[in-house]
Amino acid sequence: MSSATLARPTTKIALVRMLDRAKMPALALVTAFVFGAVIIWITSGKFETILQAYDGLIRGALFKQRGLSESLVATVPYILLSLAVAVGFKSGLFNIGAEGQFYIGAISAAFVGQAFHGLPAIIHLPLTLLAGALGGAIWAGIPGYLKARTGAHEVISTMMMNYVAFRFTEYLISFPLKDKLATAVQTPRVSAAAELWTFADVPARLQDPLNALAVALVMTFLAYVLSRWLLARRLTNRLARWGLAIAVGVITFIGLPPLTRLWWPFPDQYDRLHIGLLMAIAAAVGVWWLLWKTTLGFEMRTVGANPNAAKYAGMSMTRNIMLTMAISGALAGLAGTAEVLGVSICRCLPLFFSSGYGFDSIAIALLANNNPFGILAASFLFGAMRNGADLMELNSGVSKYVISVIQAMLLLFAAAPAVVRWMYRMKVERHVEEEAVTMRGWGGG
Amino acid sequence: MTLALQASGITKRFPGVLANDHVSFELEKGEIHALLGENGAGKSTLMNVLYGLYQPDEGEIRIDDKPTRITSPHDAIAQGIGMVHQHFMLVPPLTVTENIMLGQESVTSASKFLGGLSVLDRRTVAARVRELSHQYGLDVDPDAFVRDLTVGAQQRVEIVKALYRSAEILILDEPTAVLTPQEADEFFVIMRGLVEQGKSIVFITHKLREVFAVADRISVMRAGQMVGTVKPKEATSEKLAEMMVGRQVILQIDKADAHPGEEILRVENLRVMDDRKHMTVDGVSLSVRAGEILGVAGVQGNGQTELTEALTGLRRVAEGRVTILGHDTTHATPRQVVEVGTAHVPEDRHKHGLVLAFPIRDNLVLCSYYRSPFAKGLELDFPIIEKQAEELVTMFDIRTPSINTSAGSLSGGNQQKVIVARELSRPVKLLIASQPTRGLDVGSIEFIHQRIVEARDKGAAVLLISAELDEIMSLSDRIAVMYKGHILETLDAATATREQLGLLMAGVVKEGAHV
Amino acid sequence: MSTATNTLARRSSFLGTWWVTVLFTTFGLVAAWVLLNLVIGGQCGQKCVIDTLAQMFRLATPIAFAAFCGVMCERAGVVDIGIEGKLLMGAMAGYAVNLFAFQALKDSMGVEAAGNLSRWLAVLAGVLASVILAALHAVVSIEFKVNQIISGTVVNILALGVTGYFYRQFLAENLPPGPGTFPIMNIPLLDQIPFIGPILFQQKPLTYIMFILLFAIQYVLFFTPWGLRTRAVGEHPRAADTLGINVFRTRYINVLVGGVIAGLGGVWFTLEAVDVFNPGMTNGLGFIGLAAMIFGKWSPFGALLGALIFGLGSSVTSTVSIFRPDIPSQIPQMLPYLLTIVVLTGVVGRAIPPAADGEPYEKQ
Repeated sequence: MSSATLARPTTKIALVRMLDRAKMPALALVTAFVFGAVIIWITSGKFETILQAYDGLIRGALFKQRGLSESLVATVPYILLSLAVAVGFKSGLFNIGAEGQFYIGAISAAFVGQAFHGLPAIIHLPLTLLAGALGGAIWAGIPGYLKARTGAHEVISTMMMNYVAFRFTEYLISFPLKDKLATAVQTPRVSAAAELWTFADVPARLQDPLNALAVALVMTFLAYVLSRWLLARRLTNRLARWGLAIAVGVITFIGLPPLTRLWWPFPDQYDRLHIGLLMAIAAAVGVWWLLWKTTLGFEMRTVGANPNAAKYAGMSMTRNIMLTMAISGALAGLAGTAEVLGVSICRCLPLFFSSGYGFDSIAIALLANNNPFGILAASFLFGAMRNGADLMELNSGVSKYVISVIQAMLLLFAAAPAVVRWMYRMKVERHVEEEAVTMRGWGGG
Repeated sequence: MTLALQASGITKRFPGVLANDHVSFELEKGEIHALLGENGAGKSTLMNVLYGLYQPDEGEIRIDDKPTRITSPHDAIAQGIGMVHQHFMLVPPLTVTENIMLGQESVTSASKFLGGLSVLDRRTVAARVRELSHQYGLDVDPDAFVRDLTVGAQQRVEIVKALYRSAEILILDEPTAVLTPQEADEFFVIMRGLVEQGKSIVFITHKLREVFAVADRISVMRAGQMVGTVKPKEATSEKLAEMMVGRQVILQIDKADAHPGEEILRVENLRVMDDRKHMTVDGVSLSVRAGEILGVAGVQGNGQTELTEALTGLRRVAEGRVTILGHDTTHATPRQVVEVGTAHVPEDRHKHGLVLAFPIRDNLVLCSYYRSPFAKGLELDFPIIEKQAEELVTMFDIRTPSINTSAGSLSGGNQQKVIVARELSRPVKLLIASQPTRGLDVGSIEFIHQRIVEARDKGAAVLLISAELDEIMSLSDRIAVMYKGHILETLDAATATREQLGLLMAGVVKEGAHV
Repeated sequence: MSTATNTLARRSSFLGTWWVTVLFTTFGLVAAWVLLNLVIGGQCGQKCVIDTLAQMFRLATPIAFAAFCGVMCERAGVVDIGIEGKLLMGAMAGYAVNLFAFQALKDSMGVEAAGNLSRWLAVLAGVLASVILAALHAVVSIEFKVNQIISGTVVNILALGVTGYFYRQFLAENLPPGPGTFPIMNIPLLDQIPFIGPILFQQKPLTYIMFILLFAIQYVLFFTPWGLRTRAVGEHPRAADTLGINVFRTRYINVLVGGVIAGLGGVWFTLEAVDVFNPGMTNGLGFIGLAAMIFGKWSPFGALLGALIFGLGSSVTSTVSIFRPDIPSQIPQMLPYLLTIVVLTGVVGRAIPPAADGEPYEKQ
């Protein structure tokens, strides 16, 4: 008769459901590695090579000294780039130009980071981040505008913008933005105030009161958001929440610097790991909130799922396409910014910098079915693999590129559960799931 | 009496549905046999089994009294069965000739050795098409592109396609769905001509009147079962309707008199272009007042779709003016049209009306998600959205396991209820309902008709666009007939007759004079 | 009455493109010459113009192959964005086989004969590699009904990985000398025609194959039963199915044929352009081929025009670079890509693909 009120699922059911959902991706992972093993075996002729290779891979990714921290470092750009691609997919747009937007974001950050001297970090760092995000947003916004106005397909226009970006940044690094003092062809080093702090460096940085203020402001914001989410029922008064948040902020400002000077966890293990990781995680949460909790995100997803219904519902296609591309580009630009400000050793952008992140981030987004939290996990997987590949090559002589092959297979098996089921002779289940990629063709007319 | 075709005990199961339940059906040679039943009764399934599109789980088929199996449409064609589907199986960018010879192409003898890569011989096929066209009075132009043909012409092409392949048995699925009453009558003449030349015809319909016009025998199906076979002389509309639905059916809705109030919608000289740059709405003027239902009758393809899209902001207006409640909405966006107080039940529920991948909960706020109370600024307020969804599901009797079920999992009737629930959950001044009961079962049709009349009685102006003349006649207070982009005439529903409307729908304004 | 006009109307989709091709090409040539003279101040004489135009056809070759592959696949309703990957695999396979076949044969056959044979064996190998990838894409998207954009991406990533891997393992260093790329094949008599001769008839074999394919595809698509069925399958697969056409088989074969064509495009890189292999050397030309296909509204002549436009852009900018070494090379290098965007949005905007393009077919 009338619909039964849906019982809120218990935690146990939710856990079981989550494990069930992880079943196929896990199988995909295992199968992909098996394929990789086969390739290694065939090309090296020896069975032991497989063991050496995978041993090197895992040790390099996690267990050797600085293994985990380097894996996490590699994860950061993957997170941001995959979020960029995923935001596009959710709206029915294939932003294959994330790599170009990455470059433009990187060069913008590299420029702004060294264009000012003497600015305190509380201004310079956000400014540089903004510059990188803006660069990426504009670079993606142009194909977005073209698509909204003329229907030009974004696969091609963003791909072309990629190559324009490569050449353009090459030009900028080689000529106008070249560091005249360095022997290598690269941009000048960004000022210390614009760098993304390494974790090891945090206690020292906090001694500067302006930096402490910046951190306090961030904590205030976090406290407010958390209080809305966790204490929503008990603290309904907005003033009370702000009061709590400000209290947290003040405590942080006064207490954190001396506290960290006294004690800072894992002081020797961070190596190059930088706070960009936190930024990336925050971005993932932000994207989740945007897509599933806001009106804007609802529009974006509707446009992706059924553009005709979106029009009927009064949503503006032009605005949504451009907004999606801008957000996507901004995320990709932030990835480039993190690269320059946090990952690069020279805190600059060198000429023959090749990221190779391009297609990987597409694979990650598809693997995670465009879910931001899945992207966090999958990005770590890819980052770890990329990091571990160095030791794998050293250990066994197997070239790093086999990782790409494994990743391609992983994508194939994850995107085509039917293939995995067929291989393992599993029964077919029927789910009506949201597809990762809703656009099918060129969508003309 | 020889049997052209005999099916016994046909059973076909789909996941969750028993589409055909031990159905038996006989077609005599040279007869026109009507297969009647409401949407979802299993008629199309049975015919698809006979045409080889589905394989029956149980049952036997005999052609010319010989048991046989029909494994594919190709096989069916080889055995002399041709089918004209409700949604045509024609490829629009190809010509009539190319469509007809597709699958058994003629090639020039010189290049025959190249097999699949030999040169197509369009000329021979075109000649044969003209021959068949002449023989059966079908008037088909072999060189025309299918996309340029009218729906009626496309239907005739489908018939020639079947005859080209020497079909002896023709299955016609809802052939008159796209024809005016007069065109339908002409079609019946064609059918009798075919039968006189020795063909046997099964035709599927849900329209009671037609079967009396042309059938030799009528078989009724209901809920997957064959209820019975009667001769037209022995049956009445009421009896057939009862067989179709299994209970007494109210064929005419009971509605109070209209008390029209102020003018809500005014359309002045509207001209709208379709996607192919034809002016499909060519000077339409109409007016709808609060508390009345204006029904727009007309065969599909005369501009109704473009008219609705223009009124609701989904299509650009080339010329003219649209005023809703005093606001000029000629160039308004869909959102602006809604905010003025319009509700729109769209023609194509899958294309415009719903996001099938989203849960019902989201679909129910599809047009108002951005306003309070559903959203505060940017953020959506889910507890309120969910409460609204649960209320609507109860109020509109939407059959679903939960509000989080995806809309795609619902039946057609329930999907349409979701759309109607959503649209009527807002305060409605103007309701534009376009083909609101297409493809639905009788229960859902009744329900939606009641809601539309209810909206009218609450003071809304209702613009009803439908290709089902029965629906128009039963619901409307006034009826406007649309033909080739014009409103030919607007009649008072109480006095309008089927014949009058039929003539207008065919473009006949005065006796014999065509527009 | 209707026959003549309707035949004309039917042909017009390619006839129109034909005349537009000529118009555009002429316009493009004039514009190019003006640009050349503007930028390099009249230093480009007739020989230079001829060289530039000849190079236009050369550089358009891989793009045309990519576009033709796209046409074959998409006319049947299968979207193929993995063309880039197929080009790359073809390039690498061709390069490797060229080298190793030469090594194996040169002692028994003599250098020149071995060189010729190994090059054609290499073409075969490149085609085979590309067909394997095409088969993967076909099986995954037709049989398993995976979204075709995803399966195309898989092909691209796989190609990058496999070619990079094999390059590192076997091809990076200590390579024996190979026979080099295809020499130019002059067509006797025709190449003596003033102006046009050196442009069209002094090219390498793959460019000639491109021209042959142009006419072959046009013929097959519009004049044969196979082409008719392919187009029906791409526009309305269910209609084709009801008439007994095997939709899956038609799609498989078209995708595989597309794979052959893409393989030919791939070997261009290592058997005609340069005598080395670098990972990622295809540089987006596969995607430019897709743009050309869309520009050409899924017809071979239109696709060739799109390829020529890009080829012209590349060729002109490289000529400019030669005469004006003061301009940083990256600037003109950007132009072909910008040109593609302009062409795509300016001229095309909303091109309508085959109606069933990208939709996996479900038999019910």
